[in-house]
Amino acid sequence: MATPWLLVARHLRAHWLRSGLTMLALTVAMFLFCFLISLVTSLSSAVTAAATDRVIVQSAVSLFVALPKDYQPKIEAIPGVEQVTKFQWFGGYYQKPENFMGQFGVDHEVFLDMYRNEIGITEALALDGATASGDDVNLTPVVRGAGAGAAAVAAMAADRRAAIVGEGLARDFKWKVGDTLPITGTIFAKRDGSAWDFNVVGIYRPLKSSMDDRTMFFRYDYLDETLAADGATGPKGVGVYCVNVAPGHDPEAVIAGIDALFSNGPQATLTTTEAAFQAGFVSMMGNLPFFVGTIGGAVVFAVVFSVINTMLMSGRQRMHETGILKALGFRNGALARLMLGESLLLSLLGGGLGVLLAVVLATPLRYLLGAFLPNYFVAASTVWLALGVTLFIGLVAGITPAIVAARLRPTAALRSEG
Amino acid sequence: MSIIQMQGVTKRYTRGGETLTVLDNLSLDVPAGDFVALMGPSGSGKSTILNLVGGLDSVDSGSIVVAKQEITSMASSELPDFRARHIGFIFQSFNLVPVLTAWENVMLPLLLTPLDRAARKKQAEFALEVVGLADRMHHRPKQLSGGQEQRVAIARALATDPDIILADEPTGDLDRDSANAIMDLLRRLNVELKKTLVVVTHDHVAAERARRVLHLDKGVLAREVLNDTSPLAGARR
Repeated sequence: MATPWLLVARHLRAHWLRSGLTMLALTVAMFLFCFLISLVTSLSSAVTAAATDRVIVQSAVSLFVALPKDYQPKIEAIPGVEQVTKFQWFGGYYQKPENFMGQFGVDHEVFLDMYRNEIGITEALALDGATASGDDVNLTPVVRGAGAGAAAVAAMAADRRAAIVGEGLARDFKWKVGDTLPITGTIFAKRDGSAWDFNVVGIYRPLKSSMDDRTMFFRYDYLDETLAADGATGPKGVGVYCVNVAPGHDPEAVIAGIDALFSNGPQATLTTTEAAFQAGFVSMMGNLPFFVGTIGGAVVFAVVFSVINTMLMSGRQRMHETGILKALGFRNGALARLMLGESLLLSLLGGGLGVLLAVVLATPLRYLLGAFLPNYFVAASTVWLALGVTLFIGLVAGITPAIVAARLRPTAALRSEG
Repeated sequence: MSIIQMQGVTKRYTRGGETLTVLDNLSLDVPAGDFVALMGPSGSGKSTILNLVGGLDSVDSGSIVVAKQEITSMASSELPDFRARHIGFIFQSFNLVPVLTAWENVMLPLLLTPLDRAARKKQAEFALEVVGLADRMHHRPKQLSGGQEQRVAIARALATDPDIILADEPTGDLDRDSANAIMDLLRRLNVELKKTLVVVTHDHVAAERARRVLHLDKGVLAREVLNDTSPLAGARR
């Protein structure tokens, strides 16, 4: 079963331009393939990682219609409800409109407790021991590690303008705890035209893929009180309520209870599980998996032909050499293995590089995609799928020249010009 | 004792709807250690004899026994092993693998032997020394002259220590001096290493090195001459 494998590498090197261009095509194709598949998996991961014991209450009319604030105590009173926090989309930007990011007003104490398993505070400002309240608060140096969570809770409670930000945002904008962020409101504009000031009291790291590291959470009451004092314009009320279901209770029963309670108004509600709520966002983009899958499939389809063409050309050029090897005593199987081996090596080098690039560039891409897909990642399953596709391309491209090489009569091969 | 026996061999080719009889009931014996030159006009069947004896092509009728094995009854899957074990080929256009060095070309058929790496290396070194190219072993074919390329091809044919070396116009692409040198080298393989040589040639000067010269015409053996100008000359028949 001797096979002169050295010939595979030598031929790839001898025709370096052709090999290089084919590998480049494969690299680009498999990078795109990984990227497109990762778009879908990243979007779906937020859905699959969503908490099963949490439900979201929104207006039955639209997500953009606010719910009354007095719904909160009524929801809290429903059997099976453990905790409730408001979530109010703020829609501001930092310095310039391109610096788009997620900002939510929340009930800070409940929020930090409710999401303790989904976000971890990595650093926070700690109170200096002085009584602190209102707008003027003295905060002391940074607490990192185990005490940071408790410090963030205290700092949020002490400072009405307090906010915690994701570490992705902090890294991009070079924010650090203690900074004051001027955020210009678009939905909630200040009457005097100034920006809202938020004090960074903590930086968090997402612990699950349902959370990203490019969101800012601030105190809802800061927004609410400013609106009440007519310091800003914007819709009054609450975007959505986020409800944790108590252990041992059926989320479906809680959902039914909430929607039944408000079925007669003043604002009917639509309550869903957190997973269904996340899936709703994905479906807003249309049938994205199908769309992206079609593009990915087309890219792979196109590159298959490119590699087949390369291998057929290589096979034709090597007909004479095939005759020499047969005359020397190499078996048909060895000749077939050479062609198949060259095709597989070419595919795996090019495709493998594309997959490697997709993995290496995942972090920069996450920043580039910014707020649109902040939890972009390349899953291990995507890497294996892409490597499988690469292998498949190599096999498909190499099979025809391999069969031709095996079937070629030695005398006919030796007469050929290739 | 004959190492090659062809009995009533007929070979036909069909080209463009026309059937050509290239060998017509040909019988031929080549004793072990002989040096035979096959001559004749184009299309007389010289190269076909080499292809059939080397198991590269099949007969339409007749039988061929090479090294005590009837290759005409062998399955096509058995022929590569037969070639690897018993036959060394030398071609007019050298037929070296251009992406490999001289050394790697010579090592190529050795991959088909049961020898270990050290033994293969020794064999390749020996073959390159015999052809006088030990100092050019790391050159690619493009970096060698025609004569040197053919010497590498001879080293490759010799490397596995085959019983028979079949050479198809080995001097056809060479100038006179190089052609003489190659024929002298082939003669040395016959005399010193006891290889049986069957050489197809149009070159009368080259054929003088052979012990026997067989003239073919239209697929039959027209004439056989024992070459007493050859240093190997024996009894005239």
